[in-house]
Amino acid sequence: MAELESMVPVAAIVYLLLGIVSLILLNRSKNRIWIDFMVGQILGLCLFIQGLAYSSHSIILAFSDGDVDLQFFIFSRNSLFIISGFLAATIPLLFPYPILQNSSTIKYIISGILGMSLLSAVYMMMTNYRYFGITDIIFVIPFVLLISVYFRFLTEEIRNNDLTARRMSFAAGLVLIGIHGREMTWWLAQVISINDEFVGRGAIELGEFAYSYAPAWIGYNINATIGSIAILILTVGESWRASHKGMNGFLLVVLLIFAVGTISGIADYAVLDIVNSCMYSVCEDYPETYDIWYNFTTNALVYLFTPLIAMYIILNFDIIDSRSSENSWMSRIIVILMLLIVTSSMIELLQSFLPVSEMVSSAILAMVVAIFIGWEERIMLKLVEEGESISKKLISLDELNIPDMENNHLQLFSKAVGVMVVFIILLSAVYSAII
Amino acid sequence: MDSQKGDFSEILSNIFSNSEANRYILASIIATIIMFSYTGYDLLVVRSDAVNEYTNLKEWSIVFETQNETMQAVETVQDDETRNVLFDLSEINIPDGFTIGYIDIIITSEEESGISGQCDSVAGDIIENDLTAQWNDPQNNLSGQDSSCLPIELDLTIYPNYDGETLTISAINEFQALQNWTDTGWGEGELSIDLDLDVNAPFGIDPLGSDTDEEITIDVFIVMFKPNISLIE
Repeated sequence: MAELESMVPVAAIVYLLLGIVSLILLNRSKNRIWIDFMVGQILGLCLFIQGLAYSSHSIILAFSDGDVDLQFFIFSRNSLFIISGFLAATIPLLFPYPILQNSSTIKYIISGILGMSLLSAVYMMMTNYRYFGITDIIFVIPFVLLISVYFRFLTEEIRNNDLTARRMSFAAGLVLIGIHGREMTWWLAQVISINDEFVGRGAIELGEFAYSYAPAWIGYNINATIGSIAILILTVGESWRASHKGMNGFLLVVLLIFAVGTISGIADYAVLDIVNSCMYSVCEDYPETYDIWYNFTTNALVYLFTPLIAMYIILNFDIIDSRSSENSWMSRIIVILMLLIVTSSMIELLQSFLPVSEMVSSAILAMVVAIFIGWEERIMLKLVEEGESISKKLISLDELNIPDMENNHLQLFSKAVGVMVVFIILLSAVYSAII
Repeated sequence: MDSQKGDFSEILSNIFSNSEANRYILASIIATIIMFSYTGYDLLVVRSDAVNEYTNLKEWSIVFETQNETMQAVETVQDDETRNVLFDLSEINIPDGFTIGYIDIIITSEEESGISGQCDSVAGDIIENDLTAQWNDPQNNLSGQDSSCLPIELDLTIYPNYDGETLTISAINEFQALQNWTDTGWGEGELSIDLDLDVNAPFGIDPLGSDTDEEITIDVFIVMFKPNISLIE
């Protein structure tokens, strides 16, 4: 069976690649409205920092069996995940419906969030990550905002037949999946309240009291609850929309995640004896099929498909100017590259437990490459031509303020995050050497 | 609508401007709070207690209750003969919960032939075979010899590390504390013992040729144990 770890290095490459290319493309895009520029920066930086965190995680997994001192990488990974979490939680404040529209609120609140993320990363490091999970609380307000925007524009589309409103509800739904996709695949387990048994197993298995602290568990539970409610909202909402407007691709994606969550919940229930074995006997391993299922669903969604969702948002919502000749070729390369990396990883995973020879899997990969090259034009057209910035919709509603802010001011954000990342990495190096 | 100025209250009123959508939003938030409440209770109250109970290592005392079974064979061995005697351990009665710990063997010979009553030379060896036991245990005594009419004692450890002494073990639960004492499959097979006899006569002379054999008794004491565990408060 494929090792769980095998997907982490791929995730590191995918996140880093997409993050760097997004930032390059964004800087080349001229005349972007402030909201697109800001969201593009946050999304690009979030992907880049997560890519760094996954790189550290890959190194930890690769050398965990040896005598290598991995403290630096553990501190770096955890701190970078905290910062990228704060950045991800900032996205719903601006996209798809910006609640920060005043130049001073944009400056102060976003600076405040950056400051909080830095303080959290340092505090967690000093407390040996005992309260790591509590940072998930930051997703509560973004969740309320996203479902509010989703319901408002979904209702307007269906009741008032406002066709342009779909862009907003669609964007809100995509961001919900992008942020809470992992927890969405546990929705049934959360509804029937068995996720706590998995958390308990983790605590006993690792023998770390860190996981027993109530604050961390509150954070985990908030995140799991938000994810579960989010997928239920999207399933009901998209089904309601489909009954009026017909089927669409997003409904299929939502139903797929809903189905994965249903099956995972049943599978989780089936392995409860194994989960609880830690308490009453010794920790038994999960069945191989159960591990394979989670590799292909939850892990694949987090490691491989979340960056694809981010790429879709960047291109389809016109956050970067992918139509300009300067950006066009790079956009095309990154789309094909991302699709190929994800497809080849999935083929590799399939090969790890199916009796398929390497010759056959190579042939399948060659077919996929041919299809992507042949359909490259069509894929790009689908992504870009149908795309439109949500700022147009907001301007048409007269609900978007254009604050008096130069792009140079907005670019300060990237620089501040860059300095923060360097500071955190240095701090991790020094702190890991001291303790 | 007035042109947007970026005022926070105005932005919020725009987001919540649709009354039908607001009902759905409210219902979703209530559902979230309800789900968080009952899952939070399970996690933070029920599970937390259980985890606290099981993440702490506790001290356990393991006392071994023992029972013995004996087997015996009486063999008349000729001078210079090597005789193999087998004891089938499946013939003994092992009570529920008991496992064979070790086997003690006592080989006794009774000098009764010949004029002088000079002690014969007797040797006993436990022969390594398919019997599942700790064949390399340092506590074993697999060979013995005697020519002074004293019993020969042989020992074979069957269960790993079992010596009958009371133990104190750190573990998170009873199962893990007992884990090393619940193996099955030890002590299955036949115990094989070789006997050798070398008749001794005074000054090497036995004119009547009457001391040509020896009656040797093999007593096999099979020590079985059952671990009894108790938590040390």
